[in-house]
Amino acid sequence: MTPEASFTLAAVLVCVVAPLGGAAVSVLRVPGLGPRLIAGVTLAASLAAALGVTWVWHAGSGLEVVAGPRLVGGSLVHVDGLTAILLPYVAVVELAIVLVAPSRALDPVAVARLLVGATLTFAIMATDHPAALVLLWIVSLLPTWFSTLATPGGRPTARVYALAMVVGSLLFATGVALLVADPPWFEGSGRIGAAGGWLVALAVMVRKGIAPFHSWYPALFSGAPMSTALAATMPQVASYAAVRLLVGHADVVPDELVVLTRAALVTSAYGAALATVQRDVRGLVGTLAMSQSAMVLAGLSGTVAMELCGALAIWVSSGLALTGIGLAAWALESRAGVLSLEAPQGRYADAPALAAFLLLFGLASLGFPGTLSFVADDLIIAGSLDEHFLAGTLVIVATAFSGIAVIRAWFRLFGGPAPGDAPRHAVLPRERCTLAALLAVLFGLGLWPGPFVQSLERVATSLLASRQSADPPAHSGVHP
Amino acid sequence: MTDVVSLRQLESWMVVLLVAAPAASLAAIGIPALVGRPPSERVTTRAVAIGFTVALLAALGILVTAAWRGFPEEVVHLGTLFAVGTHAATIDLVADALSIPYVCFSTGLCALVNAFAGRYLHREPGFTRFFVLLSLFGFGMNLLVLAGSIDMLFAGWECVGISSTLLIGFFHERRAAVAAALRAFVTYRVCDGGLLAAGVVLHHAVGSGDFDRVFVGAWPTARCLLPETTAGLAAVLLVWAALGKSAQVPVSGWLPRAMEGPTPSSAIFYGALSIHAGAYLLLRCAPLLDAAPWVSRLLLVIGLVTAVQAAVVRSVQTDLKGMLAYASMTQAGLILAEIGAGWRLLPLVHVISHAIIRSLQILRSPSALHDRHELAASLGGPPDAVPPWLVRQLPVRVQEVLYRVAFERGFEDAFVGRWLLGPVVAGIEAAAALERLVVRRLGGGGDAADSWRRDRGAS
Repeated sequence: MTPEASFTLAAVLVCVVAPLGGAAVSVLRVPGLGPRLIAGVTLAASLAAALGVTWVWHAGSGLEVVAGPRLVGGSLVHVDGLTAILLPYVAVVELAIVLVAPSRALDPVAVARLLVGATLTFAIMATDHPAALVLLWIVSLLPTWFSTLATPGGRPTARVYALAMVVGSLLFATGVALLVADPPWFEGSGRIGAAGGWLVALAVMVRKGIAPFHSWYPALFSGAPMSTALAATMPQVASYAAVRLLVGHADVVPDELVVLTRAALVTSAYGAALATVQRDVRGLVGTLAMSQSAMVLAGLSGTVAMELCGALAIWVSSGLALTGIGLAAWALESRAGVLSLEAPQGRYADAPALAAFLLLFGLASLGFPGTLSFVADDLIIAGSLDEHFLAGTLVIVATAFSGIAVIRAWFRLFGGPAPGDAPRHAVLPRERCTLAALLAVLFGLGLWPGPFVQSLERVATSLLASRQSADPPAHSGVHP
Repeated sequence: MTDVVSLRQLESWMVVLLVAAPAASLAAIGIPALVGRPPSERVTTRAVAIGFTVALLAALGILVTAAWRGFPEEVVHLGTLFAVGTHAATIDLVADALSIPYVCFSTGLCALVNAFAGRYLHREPGFTRFFVLLSLFGFGMNLLVLAGSIDMLFAGWECVGISSTLLIGFFHERRAAVAAALRAFVTYRVCDGGLLAAGVVLHHAVGSGDFDRVFVGAWPTARCLLPETTAGLAAVLLVWAALGKSAQVPVSGWLPRAMEGPTPSSAIFYGALSIHAGAYLLLRCAPLLDAAPWVSRLLLVIGLVTAVQAAVVRSVQTDLKGMLAYASMTQAGLILAEIGAGWRLLPLVHVISHAIIRSLQILRSPSALHDRHELAASLGGPPDAVPPWLVRQLPVRVQEVLYRVAFERGFEDAFVGRWLLGPVVAGIEAAAALERLVVRRLGGGGDAADSWRRDRGAS
C-alpha cells in the first residue's frame, strides 16, 4: 500500500471514529468537559481528517483507495473524488450545527445522538459496499427518530418520519438485495436486477423527500430540533446512495434515473412554490431544503459533465447556505420564540446582525452573483437545458420561487414596527464566527470557483466514465 | 504603434477600475459592518466617495482615450471564472460606443447621489446600510453596463435588483415600505427568469454567452449571427426581462410604490439608472431585435401603451414622488418604443437626458414642496390647478371615465392581482393546506377534514 493510500485510510478512520468517541465521552459526562466542547473538538478532528483526505486526493491526481471486503463491485471502504468532496462538507455542516446550537439544545444525550449520527454519515460517505450501505442507511435513521421523539410535541412528527423511513428502508433493502442477486452492471443481467434498481430509486425518492413522498421533509423541520433536521437532511445520504448504486451504472438501468430526475425537478419547483406561502420560518427552511435537495438529484442523472458538476455544486452550496439559514433562524428563534411569517414581525431592530446573516445566507442559496450557488445554478441550468428544455425551465421556475420565498420571509421577519418590549439580542461570538466562516466559504468559492469546479469536473468525468462501462467500476487506485 | 498599445493598456486598466473601485468600497464598509464594527458616517461616506470618484475619473479617462481613437470596441478579458467542458464563464468587459457614455453618466450620478445622501441621511438609523447598498448598486450597474457576456450582465442585473429591493424597504419599520419592496422583488424575480432563460438560449445556440459570439461588428451597427427563430426566442425573453426592470405594462405596479425608499435612492434608481437598465439591456442586444422584427413591433406597442397609461395615471397623482414615478414610467415607455422602432442613438441620448433631469427633480422634490408652500403663502392660496388643454376639450362624461381609469391606475393592478397572481397564489395556498392535512393525518392528530377547512379558511 502506498503512503498516500495508508494516510487516506487512517484519515477516514479518524473522521469516522472521532465523533463516536466524542459521543461516548459525552454520555459519560466527564466533569469539566461540556457537551459543546466535546462535540466541537471531535468534529474539528473529523474536519481536519476529512480535509486531509481531500488534500491527498487532490494532490494525487484523483487517487482512489479501496479496502475491505467487496461485493459486486462495491467495497467496504471506497474513497474517491466524491468522498473527498463530501467528507469535509458533512464535517463543516455538523461542526456549524454544534457551534451555533443554543445551549439548552445541547444536553449530553442530544450531543451523543448528534455525534453518532455524524459517525454514521461519515461512514456512509466512505463506502459503496451494498450490504454496508443498507445497514448504515437503516441505522443512520435512528438518531433522528430518537431525537424527534424526545422533543416536546414531537411525537406526531416522529410518527410521520418513522412511517416514511420504514417504507424507504424496506424498499432500499429489497432493492439492493435484488441488485446484488442480479447485478445489472454485469452483462446478461435480467429483470430482477432492473426491478432492484426501481426499488432503490423509490427508496431514494422517499428518503430525499421527492414528490409524492415528500411530506415528512418539511414536517421534520417543524417538529424536530433544527439541529436534528439539518443533520438528517443536509448530508443527502440518499443522493450518495443513488450515485453509488444507480448513477454509476446508468447505461444498464436508465429508466429509474429518468423518472427520478423528472420527479425531482417537479419537486424542486413545487417545494419552492410551497416555500412562498409558509406560515413560519421552520416551514420555510423545510420546504426550501426540500426544493434544493431535489435539484441535486435532478442533475445527477445528467449525461454531460456540466450537469453533474452543477448537481454536485448545488449539493455543497445549498447545503451550506441552508445550514446557515437554519442556524441563523434558530438563533433568532431561541431568543424571540416562534417566528411567524404571517405578518411583519419587526425583528430588525431587535437582531440586526442576525438579519444581515439571514439575508446573506438567503442570497447565497438563490444564485446571487459572487456566491457558490451562482456557479451551481449556472452549471445546472446550462447543463439541463442542453439536454431538456423543460428541465431547464423547471429549474428557472424553482429558482424564481425560492428567491421570492427567501425575500418574503426576510421582510416578514425583520420588517414592520418593532415590538415595544423587544430587547436587543446581541449575537454571541461563537455564533458570529461560525456564521461568518460559513459565509466566507460560500462567497470564497463563489468568487474563486475555478479549483473547486475543476475538482467537481474530475468527479463528474469519473462518474460518467464508470457509466459508460458495463464492467464493474474500475478502481484505478490501490487495492490492498 | 507603441502609443496606441499603451493607450489600450491604460484603457483596459481603467475599465477594470470602473468595476473594482465600487467593489472595494463595498468591501471596505460592508465587511466591518458584518463583523459588528460598522464604520463611522464620515468614514462610510468617504470610502464610498473614493470608490465612485476613482470610477468616475476612470470613466472620463476612457471617454477621452476612446474619443481620441474614434470609439473602437475594446474587450478586456479578465479571465475565466470557471469552465466545464465547452461551457466557460468568462469575465469580459466591453468598452464601446454604448457602454462608455453610459458608464460615465451612471458613475457620475452615483458619485453625486453619494455626496447628497451623506447629508440627507445624517444620523438616520441604517446609514451604513444605505451606503453598502449604494456601493453594491454602483458595482452592479457598472458590471451590467460593461458586461461582455450575458452571464456577467446577469450578475450585474441581480446586484441592481437586490439593492433596489432592499432600498425600497429601507424604512423597514413601515409596513408599506416592506410591502412595496416585496412587490418589486416579486416582479423582478418573475421577469429575471426571462434574462436567465435568454442566457441559456444563447449558450445553447452558440455554446457561449459572450456577445462577440452572438453578434458581429461594433455597436450600433452590429449584426446578429443567430437564425431568426432563435433570435426571436432570445429577444422576446429579453424584452420580458426588460419590462420588469423598466416598469412597463403589465408589470409596472411596483414603481410608484417603490418611492417608499429614501429620496436619494429613489432618484438614482427610479429616476435614472435602474429604470433604464431594461432599455440598456435591449440596446446592448439590439441585433437580436433587428433579427426578429415581430419582437420589435411588440416592444413598440408595449412602450407606447405604457407611455399613454402612465401619462394618464400621472395626472391624478396627489403626491410629488408618485407623480415623478409615473413621469419616469412614461419616458421609459417612450424609450422602449424608440428601441422597438429601430432607433439606436436616439434612445441612448433620451436615456441619458431623462435620467439626469428626473434624478434632479426627485432629489429636489422635498425642497420643491417647501417652495410650493412658500408660493402658496405668497399667493394667499394654492396656485390654480387647470386640467391640460386636451382633457378640457373632452366631454365631461369622458373626462369622468378617464379620471376613473387614471385613479385605478388603468386597472392594471386589479388585472394582475385577479388574473395572473391571484390564481397562482390560491393554487399554492391550497397545495400547502393539503400538505398540512396529509401531515396531520399521517401524524395521527385531530380531525383532518376540519383542519383542512380551517387551513383553507385561514389562507
